[in-house]
Amino acid sequence: MATIEQTPGELGSGELATTEADDHEAAQVAGDTHTGVANAKLGMWLFLASDCLFFGAFIATYLLYRGRPGQAGPTPQDIYNIPFTSVTSFVLLMSSLTMVLALAAVQRGDYRRFRVWILATALFGTTFIGGQIFEFTEFTRKGLNIDTSLFGSSFYVLTGIHGTHVIIGIVWLVSLWGMSMQNRLSQGDAERVEIAGLYWHFVDVVWIVIFTVIYLLPK
Amino acid sequence: MTDTTAVEPGSGNEGVVDLPQGDLAYRMSHAAPNLLPGELRAHPDPYQYVIVAVVLAVITAVEIAVSYTEGDLPDGLIVVLLLAMMGVKFFLVASWFMHLRTDRPVFRRLFILGALAAPALYLIVLATLHGVLSS
Repeated sequence: MATIEQTPGELGSGELATTEADDHEAAQVAGDTHTGVANAKLGMWLFLASDCLFFGAFIATYLLYRGRPGQAGPTPQDIYNIPFTSVTSFVLLMSSLTMVLALAAVQRGDYRRFRVWILATALFGTTFIGGQIFEFTEFTRKGLNIDTSLFGSSFYVLTGIHGTHVIIGIVWLVSLWGMSMQNRLSQGDAERVEIAGLYWHFVDVVWIVIFTVIYLLPK
Repeated sequence: MTDTTAVEPGSGNEGVVDLPQGDLAYRMSHAAPNLLPGELRAHPDPYQYVIVAVVLAVITAVEIAVSYTEGDLPDGLIVVLLLAMMGVKFFLVASWFMHLRTDRPVFRRLFILGALAAPALYLIVLATLHGVLSS
């Protein structure tokens, strides 16, 4: 009796080819991804994970140099204005609330509320940056410049890089608001708002750490 | 989203749709309604967001109050309290506002990796350089 022999390898590769073809087709349907999650969202989370290390470097540098004796210029105790920074921190914290409310609104298709909340988030962010500019001006007036001491350098670089992140976030939020005003942002684009929101919340989370470690911990 | 796969009347399978539930093609093209890509459950509602924001505001107020007890409380206790409250705020924002509690675990793992690697790496660097700079 004649038998047709098929090696397991041949069978396996045939099945694999079929599965890969199906997956590829599915990926095309779902936005060209083989991971089961959106590439843009996965990319944003990867960026945020790496940004943790980025900010960690500057926070560690600040902690290393803050208490070192023999530095010129004012010390943290001389210049920090905790009540003022608390208010700006609170404003940034509340901007995270308006951000999630904006996302919830666009998911419902409520574009009018989306525009209100996204603009409120950008305005809260701008208020925070205004407070930071005021704080930097005050510190400079009291004699702490970026080249005054290691404490000054590490403080301005850390908070300045965070402020830059906030400014980038504000531009992003305003661009989403502008797209919505031009009716170029629909309910189906909620993922774009969510990714912008992830970035914004991360900026808030980093400030939660900076506010506690830099401003509140005993000197 | 409902599937429109036809089932033979009288076959005993009415209402039962034979879909490849575990297949990537199914998962990619049949997202649950109102869920964004990568989500396992729906986002919290606005009321829950407001509750979380109120909790965050209260913790921030307590943090600031605790920072003013310097000199009255031992520094070590203040540090522990402040770091604990910072951790709670971090957790609340990441899990509720960044939706890590409702998204696929891969996002949570990525972020935890970054969030744990950063302090671990820099504690080692700090410990090393602190010794070098002190000597």
